[in-house]
Amino acid sequence: MEKVLISGGAGFVGAAPPGPDHTVPDGVEFIKVDVTIQEEARKVIEQARPDVIIHAAGIVHALSERFGRRVEGHVWRTNAAKQSGVKGLYLHQFLLCVEVGIPLDICDVIQGSIVLKGSSDTVAACSLRPSVLYGPGDDRLVPAIHACIAKGKAPFIVGDGQNLWDVTYVTNVADAHVLAAENLMSSRTAAGEVFFTQNNERITFRDFCLAIWAHFGHTPPFEIHIPGTLAYLVGLSCGFLTWVFGTTNILSRGSVRDACSVRYASGERAKLILGYRPQVGIETDSSCPYLLMYLGLCSTYGDRITNAAGM
Amino acid sequence: MRATEVLYYMLRPSQLRSIVQWKVWHNPVHERNVNNETETQKACFKFLDLTSRSFSAVIKELHPELLLPVCVFYLVLRGLDTIEDDTSIPLKTKEPMLREFKDYLEQDGWTFDGNRPEEKDRELLVQFHNVITEFKNMKPAYREIVKDITDKMGNGMADYCRKAEFEDASVKTIEEYDLYCYYVAGLVGEGLTRLFVEAEFGNPALLSRPRLHKSMGLFLQKTNIIRDVREDHDDDRHFWPKEIWSKYVTEFEDLFKPENRETALNCGSEMVLNALEHAEECLFYLAGLREQSVFNFCAIPQAMAIATLELCFRNPDMFDRNIKITKGEACQLMMESTQNLHVLCDTFRRYARRIHKKNTPKDPNFLKISIVCGKIEKFIDTIFPQQTAAQAKLKVQGEKSEAEKEKARQEAETRQDLYFMLALMGVIVLIVSIIMLTAAWLLGARFDLAFQELKSGNFRPPAKQIPGEL
Repeated sequence: MEKVLISGGAGFVGAAPPGPDHTVPDGVEFIKVDVTIQEEARKVIEQARPDVIIHAAGIVHALSERFGRRVEGHVWRTNAAKQSGVKGLYLHQFLLCVEVGIPLDICDVIQGSIVLKGSSDTVAACSLRPSVLYGPGDDRLVPAIHACIAKGKAPFIVGDGQNLWDVTYVTNVADAHVLAAENLMSSRTAAGEVFFTQNNERITFRDFCLAIWAHFGHTPPFEIHIPGTLAYLVGLSCGFLTWVFGTTNILSRGSVRDACSVRYASGERAKLILGYRPQVGIETDSSCPYLLMYLGLCSTYGDRITNAAGM
Repeated sequence: MRATEVLYYMLRPSQLRSIVQWKVWHNPVHERNVNNETETQKACFKFLDLTSRSFSAVIKELHPELLLPVCVFYLVLRGLDTIEDDTSIPLKTKEPMLREFKDYLEQDGWTFDGNRPEEKDRELLVQFHNVITEFKNMKPAYREIVKDITDKMGNGMADYCRKAEFEDASVKTIEEYDLYCYYVAGLVGEGLTRLFVEAEFGNPALLSRPRLHKSMGLFLQKTNIIRDVREDHDDDRHFWPKEIWSKYVTEFEDLFKPENRETALNCGSEMVLNALEHAEECLFYLAGLREQSVFNFCAIPQAMAIATLELCFRNPDMFDRNIKITKGEACQLMMESTQNLHVLCDTFRRYARRIHKKNTPKDPNFLKISIVCGKIEKFIDTIFPQQTAAQAKLKVQGEKSEAEKEKARQEAETRQDLYFMLALMGVIVLIVSIIMLTAAWLLGARFDLAFQELKSGNFRPPAKQIPGEL
């Protein structure tokens, strides 16, 4: 039986499933460390002596700060793993499986290459890149979209509203982690590879929002298009005002860029090498279970959405 | 042309332009040579014109190698159809005729005059010997294909007629719906694909992926079934599968009641969704064709089909009357589908986006339609990527691609040219000023006095003194 060390095990991806109730399942040991401190990270590796590390910890910025720093939270891990590997601390083959932020992001591409350079005969590493995550435990994406109803933001479309996204249900990416770990423990064909894992269902971001709103019984009565460049300029000035007055940013350039960009990638490689096939789609059945799944799996989730929306 | 049409095209000059462009500038890839044709060939083309409105034009522009085989293939199937459609022929005559129709193709001079007089294509069977003569002139390989498909389709039709006679022939499940469409249109797709591959105008891989040519037929047939729902209902024919419509209404005719309009639209959108699932495979198929006239022959109906689906999607008029794409749109589509796959893909993307735009979250199929539209776009992106891996890498590394470098260089050049022009103009202004000042000086202008006046703050010439005031 292999030992697996999951960093960020209490987080959104690390805990999925069983959901964000933060109870440690049987047969799982919970160790609390600050993974941004290299010394603590090394200690935990020595203590646990894992065969596989699944790195699912990441810095989650508030939506209003979606621009800028994203790399720093991850770099330490590579170094720690490398140093450990170099010192030959482990009798077992040391395997590393890394999960990082949003796909097609420049920071992440650079960072992915740092991690993957650490892939060698002793340490096999691969990187999984899910797109925007949602599912039980999501306290960012769907609540923020839902909050737009109360704030009266629903009718506004930034950009042409035609850019395709591919969101990822959180258990799908959890499945992908398991597949990747299994691969690195056996055939190791995934070593040094980067995989895009998503639901493989491209829809426009606008439609994802509309479906969520419709589920809560809201359909925007009219639509107003805002050109992307205009929104970007507004975001720029909002950012400046935020900087001057120290308030929370209502519209960041990062979110404008995200909302107007094409955000999907090919899932062929993950299918070919890992055998990854998303088990849960946006719509798995004729009914509309994606939100019901939230509500079914996590009864407090609905309340949390309502609280987030200030209703 | 009616007054409303004139008004319509006045408001849409681009469509009018498309019509003019198509009528004036379209040149067929291959033109048939009427002078060299035999009597029987002429008769075949005459019947082609009589029996088909839409296919006749595209068939007649086909490569000479396939011109007659496809024409004969079409007429044979049309003949089969004429027997099946005729309700005046009793089953015990009809069934064996349908099953043996393939053998009639080998019998010289076989004709049939048992159709009721009002049957539209009766004359075709009365003079069917022309078709048989041409069938016998075809290459054996082509004959084999036509015969095989006739056999399959005849038997399929015979089974269907038996079922209609003894039990209920209405389409219940989606599977039955697909099967029905396969017999009516999918088989034609198979036959044509085999002809194309035999003539080496198509990639042989098209035959090893039967799903592709099946989709070509099903996409067209399903579109027709969706569009003609009202007309078919008035003739008491129903092709919409119960599995779909029963989710929305209890009786099929409820779809046409004005109070159920919203429900009917949702039902219609599920039908459109079902048809759209084939769009991707149709584009895949078209990528396997190697000859322009064959590409045109296949692409035109597909482009018309996706435009028709867009027209039917969430269109309440569909349940009231027969709707059609406008002539201008049709001409534009024909132009776009007679060029290459890239242009056709842009057309598909355009219509997928229009469908997507009409999609509403109130519809229970909202997300599925969104996904299927996304799938079409994604497929187009896969065959014609908007961004290559090399470009993406350069972008990540912050480097510019060759094209971008070239563009930057050209921009710099333009800027230099602009500065040069400005400098040149400045020099000219300077020279002209010097010449003028020199001329003024030579003519005795007192610049010293002018300077003095300026120094003392008099920027205007002194007011003229009026003599009377002195």
